[in-house]
Amino acid sequence: MDFSSMASQAGGSNPKMPTEKFMYHFKSQMEQAYAQKFIETLGRKCFDKCVTKPGSSLGGSESSCVSRCVDRYIEATGIVGRALFKANQ
Amino acid sequence: MDPSSVDSAEVQRFLIQEKEKAMMNEMVAKLTSVCWDKCITSTPGSKFSSGESACLSNCGQRYLDLSLIIMKRIQSMQ
Repeated sequence: MDFSSMASQAGGSNPKMPTEKFMYHFKSQMEQAYAQKFIETLGRKCFDKCVTKPGSSLGGSESSCVSRCVDRYIEATGIVGRALFKANQ
Repeated sequence: MDPSSVDSAEVQRFLIQEKEKAMMNEMVAKLTSVCWDKCITSTPGSKFSSGESACLSNCGQRYLDLSLIIMKRIQSMQ
């Protein structure tokens, strides 16, 4: 499920919950969903780049490729994100 | 109106903000995925080459330009 539809759905839940608690709970759910999706994406991207022919175990070069890939993808997210914000100004 | 209920105006404002944040995050995520595929063609290194980071930055901005052209085109058809 994508974030924006989660946000829409959560609008109708539990009308008796105090506002502060609801907002805190909601935010942490959204953050968890984002983190989970990000980790899934990292898995796909780095598997593609680093494990070209799956063997009977992950080799040393494959493992270090995955570490670098994670760092680079996080960096790429920052670069693309900043490019979008600059353009909006 | 019960000020602690989820239907309050404050909560509605909050949800609108959260939805906007979520949509922004979604857009950055999708764009990063597309731009990564376009720009990072070899095995990831311990840092980006200047070509790779320029490509990533350009990719984001060009996609925005493209979206604008598409919108204008569709509008001109109506």
